[in-house]
Amino acid sequence: MSYRVEGFGGTGSFDEGTSLLLTGPPALTDEQLFDVVTPRRGETAVIVTTNTSASRVAEELLDRGAAGDQVGIIDCTSQESDVDDDGVRVRQLGSPGDLTGISLEFAKLLDDEGDDAQVRVGFASVSTALMYTEQQTLFRFLHVFTARISSGGMFGTFAMDPGMHDEQAYNTIRAVFDAESEVADDGVASLRGMGFEG
Amino acid sequence: MSDSDQPTVLVVEDERALIELYVRWLGDEYDVRTAEGGEEALEKFDGDVDVALLDRLMPGMSGDEVLEAIRERDTDCKVTMVTAVEPDFDVITMGFDDYLTKPVEQETLLETIDRLLSRTEYVDLEQELYALVSKQAALEASKSVEELQKSEEFADLEERIAEVRDRLDETLAGMQDDEFVAMVRELEGDGGDEREGGE
Repeated sequence: MSYRVEGFGGTGSFDEGTSLLLTGPPALTDEQLFDVVTPRRGETAVIVTTNTSASRVAEELLDRGAAGDQVGIIDCTSQESDVDDDGVRVRQLGSPGDLTGISLEFAKLLDDEGDDAQVRVGFASVSTALMYTEQQTLFRFLHVFTARISSGGMFGTFAMDPGMHDEQAYNTIRAVFDAESEVADDGVASLRGMGFEG
Repeated sequence: MSDSDQPTVLVVEDERALIELYVRWLGDEYDVRTAEGGEEALEKFDGDVDVALLDRLMPGMSGDEVLEAIRERDTDCKVTMVTAVEPDFDVITMGFDDYLTKPVEQETLLETIDRLLSRTEYVDLEQELYALVSKQAALEASKSVEELQKSEEFADLEERIAEVRDRLDETLAGMQDDEFVAMVRELEGDGGDEREGGE
């Protein structure tokens, strides 16, 4: 099984277990991330958001054709949200720095799905998370998280703005991912790494 | 680890018959210590214990209390809780690394202990990976592509990173959700610990 996506030079698919890093300014990566994580038929999506309200995440995914019961959101923004219809499951956390909380809510949201469930995982954004967590701790968290995505045959997409970090921090974090895509102003996304078939 | 090369497992269980059963199952592969209650468990516990198998419901000192005392003394020891009913994921944030529900089968017990021991290896490898990757990133940020291509040190670094990655991939291949939560809790507990791996 694999995960179909659009916007990478046409339609293509990512192998199950792959984790993709989307780089660029948040305004661009957010849109691309919503496109990529919107669940197709028979799939579910879990989005960890640190910078965009749960209401907007839900709205963006539903606008793109997701059904409410396909979507779970782990909201670390501390913003008020009023997503209680459409079956979208929202879990609130106090801070993007609560990594154990994120992993726990993630496990709970997936608890009802079978072992062979097709799950798209979104994380927006690594840059915000880095403001709340030591680089080494976040690196280790992302490594374990992407390993769980891999062992579960899921597909992960993580957004990061390299402009917010020094080159060494960016180069360290990016080493966790299987594939990387740069989102440019004209929306065209370059892609390198493994796990993609055009 | 103790005098023998075998990892040490501490079995804490108030039913004598179960202790005997677990010892029979574990005795060949591990150095097994036993305790029939919480107080005795703390007497038998020290830095050599790699894995503790802890009955949650015991008369006197409960498994939860024993866990708390163990965590105050040593966080490297892996603790698996034995419960009557399957607990919620939340229980993992209390400081357990895994849980087993009664009746415990031999195969499950051996697998669980094996997995917890490999998680100890995982933490060391993962710290080494971070040290290697941040060093690689620093070199990439300060040197030109040509310089890096000529550098033997950089080539060695890349080779070692590939090795560590392969071993981590093997260790993590079968990870389930409860392990994921336990591992994140553990790495967060290490927060601020800037130990350098490798080198």
